[in-house]
Amino acid sequence: MKMPNVLLIILSATFLVFAGCTKKQDSNERVLNLVSPAEIKGFDPIQADDLYSGREISKIYEGLLQYHWLKMPYELVPNLAAALPVISKDGITYTFKLRSGVKFQDDAAFAGGKGREVEANDFVYSIKRLADSRNQATGWWVLDGKLKGLNEWREKNSKLPATNYDEEVEGVKALDKYTLQFKLAKAFPQFLYALAMPFTYAVSKEVVAKYGKEFINHPIGTGPYILPIFDQGKKITYTKNPTFREKLYPSDASPEFKNLLSDAGKRLPLVEKIVVHVMKETQPAWLKLNKGEIDYYSVPKDNFATAIKNNKLSDELAKKGFILEIAPQLDVTYTAFNFENKLFHNKKLRQAMYLAYDEPKANELFYNNTAFPAQSIIAPGIAGVDKNYVNPFKGPKLTEAKKLLAEAGYPDGKGLPELKYDIPDSTVSRQMGEYFQKQMEQIGVKIKIISSPWPEFQAKVKKKAVEVYGLAWGADYPDAENFLQLFYGPNKSPGANGSNYDNPQFNKEFEAATQMQDSPERTARYEKLNKFLAEEVVALFGVHRQAYILEQGWLKNYHPTDLHHDAVQYLNIDTQKKAELLKNF
Amino acid sequence: MNMYAYIFRRLLYVIPVLLGVCLVIFVLFNLVAPDPAFTLLGKHATQLQIAELHHELGMDRPYWVQYFDTVKTAFTFDFGYSWTSKQNIWEMIKAGAGPSLSITGPLFVIENIFAISLALLVAFYRGKLVDKIVLVLSIAGMSIPSLAVVLFGQWFFGYKLGIFEISGYERGFPQFVPYVILPIILYVFISFGGETRFYRTVILDEAYQDYVRTARSKGISELRVMFKHVLKNSMIPILTQIIIQIPTLILGLLFAESFFSIPGLGAMTINAINNSDFPVIKAMTILSAVGFILFGVVTDVLYTVVDPRMKLK
Repeated sequence: MKMPNVLLIILSATFLVFAGCTKKQDSNERVLNLVSPAEIKGFDPIQADDLYSGREISKIYEGLLQYHWLKMPYELVPNLAAALPVISKDGITYTFKLRSGVKFQDDAAFAGGKGREVEANDFVYSIKRLADSRNQATGWWVLDGKLKGLNEWREKNSKLPATNYDEEVEGVKALDKYTLQFKLAKAFPQFLYALAMPFTYAVSKEVVAKYGKEFINHPIGTGPYILPIFDQGKKITYTKNPTFREKLYPSDASPEFKNLLSDAGKRLPLVEKIVVHVMKETQPAWLKLNKGEIDYYSVPKDNFATAIKNNKLSDELAKKGFILEIAPQLDVTYTAFNFENKLFHNKKLRQAMYLAYDEPKANELFYNNTAFPAQSIIAPGIAGVDKNYVNPFKGPKLTEAKKLLAEAGYPDGKGLPELKYDIPDSTVSRQMGEYFQKQMEQIGVKIKIISSPWPEFQAKVKKKAVEVYGLAWGADYPDAENFLQLFYGPNKSPGANGSNYDNPQFNKEFEAATQMQDSPERTARYEKLNKFLAEEVVALFGVHRQAYILEQGWLKNYHPTDLHHDAVQYLNIDTQKKAELLKNF
Repeated sequence: MNMYAYIFRRLLYVIPVLLGVCLVIFVLFNLVAPDPAFTLLGKHATQLQIAELHHELGMDRPYWVQYFDTVKTAFTFDFGYSWTSKQNIWEMIKAGAGPSLSITGPLFVIENIFAISLALLVAFYRGKLVDKIVLVLSIAGMSIPSLAVVLFGQWFFGYKLGIFEISGYERGFPQFVPYVILPIILYVFISFGGETRFYRTVILDEAYQDYVRTARSKGISELRVMFKHVLKNSMIPILTQIIIQIPTLILGLLFAESFFSIPGLGAMTINAINNSDFPVIKAMTILSAVGFILFGVVTDVLYTVVDPRMKLK
């Protein structure tokens, strides 16, 4: 036998031996298979500053409040609280009654290994833990300066050899076993949103004490799922919490979610097990979705053209039973100026640059024409956006741009130094940078692109070492304050105001508006501030993106959302339909 | 006795090498790498929080104290805790070593056996059709970007044919087997070209030596000439090439682990770099340096085994 033939036989035999080494899908299993496109930093609620960690943490831990699963606009409802709080007339004191009988998950940290009941003191401890400077909590900003005496407690304890958690703080007190009282330093209605965020979820003192530094990998909460240990792997497997309280699927819904009521009144959670695959690369995740191994995933940019045509699924995907979910995201993309650089105090220069930028073309190139043009900073769907408002400086209007640039003192860009445009070092960011460079060239503004790895890019912004840079902001909570604060003077770098914009008039009006309770008057003030930022062109506002999610036909109750970190407890699998649909895969 | 003295002397080199490695990573981290505070504290960090974190991490101490700490870590192997995951770094290494080795181990063995066998084969048939085919395939393997090979492999073998897992990993034997086959096959393809070309050159260099001609003229069979004489005398460069790969096994496949969602040391190192997680970067760099020194010594010792003419001094 000739040598090449021998090789061929060996290769074929190898393939035959290994062929079929894949795991077969069991359609009878009520298991959710999800993807996390980023590494999970760990399971400490006070460090959950990214969306993906927040989603994982919310499978295990819970807070006082949550967003109603089937209502839009977002509506806060009680979770571990028995009811919404009683708020004093001056908007300073918030009193909560806690649900009784809620238990922490079983763990060796508790007497007899059985989780004990959650009490008001657990929230007092959790809030102080968030404030404790030794914990370096990424979520401290939600309470920084908000609760009476908490900043002072933090400051004082940072100088002591150990933090004194027994010292009373006026701003957060347990009045009795089930009554919790917050006192704010000044009225701040957005405070309630903080209580639905992972940062303020209830943790147990015993568990923190038992695991010490490793607490981050030993999540023990009150939530619907348990995870005995987090090994920082690429696959996180949760199982149903056997001691989870009786929590039911909602029975009321906004009109757009009426079709998601088939499980109304059923006890949560609805699936036995959740497997989260940490997959940073889109291609393997997309292939797994197409193989039926993942229950939903956002359509990657590179697969968009083949998967979706005219906002409809391709025939191939439709045959497999996929459902396309399109939902606006609470975010905004923008090109920011660093106002520490006096050059950008020239309003006409900023306006000229905005007029020169062809946003519709950018939308087509980078978002497959799926995004909404942003007129200012606040995302649509949040009170404070005038739907009919069009930013007069939104391009492309080249003649006007050139005229304004000349008025700004730089006819055809003459006399204007080359501007440095900082971007993170991803392919898409570079393409966006090059597009921006080309757009500015049309009016004679020269741009030099500087790309850096994400941490370095972030560091440069925080150190005010940038001139112009591209960024996106996703809402932490559904209130205009969360967007407007991006230009609030006291939030300058290293705070969230990376533009370092500091306008006393804007700051004053922002402070006044954000202290008001939700009302038409407050909405009008927000709208005014939003328009002010638009016409000041404090940034080149880009787009508000939309999520395009492909959902398996067997997945029940799903809808894309930015803020429901705890969504998985409501999701269900139609096993019969799964068995049928899998035949098409 | 000479050999032991040599080994001891070579091991002493660890000291200056580690001091140098510490200096390089320390300088790189402090002068080039971004401040980890911005990554660790998130988008709402304040100046006060940054200062507090610097203090907590010991970054506000004088540089010489921080450098001394790095040196101490290198010699005690007490790597401490990761700044991001807060896990004990040895625990992280233990958890990541298995998945990494489950790919790099078989890949190392298969790739080398395959490449050496192929090199012997083409050396045997030099200039003939087999040689030309392998040459073309080797150049193809070396020229096609590894990303393209991985993407095609996942799509074709994982999705279209459905014979391998596209990505993922399960701990424990044999659970991990279905997940490592595809990356191993693809990486054998990616790396065999360069390896085969190298081994072919080494073997051919030897095949044209006078003693080989003498052996042939004595009527010794071609197979015996190749295995008994040529292969044996080619062992020094082959051994160097093979052993130098061993320390890299523990580092895992930096790029592949991310694409195949393998929770190995390669993915861990990439994450550490992205998050400026200095203790983890430090641990992996020090372990690699020590690994290279140790395996360098092993290579030298093995030279004397395969070639008795060599002496260690």
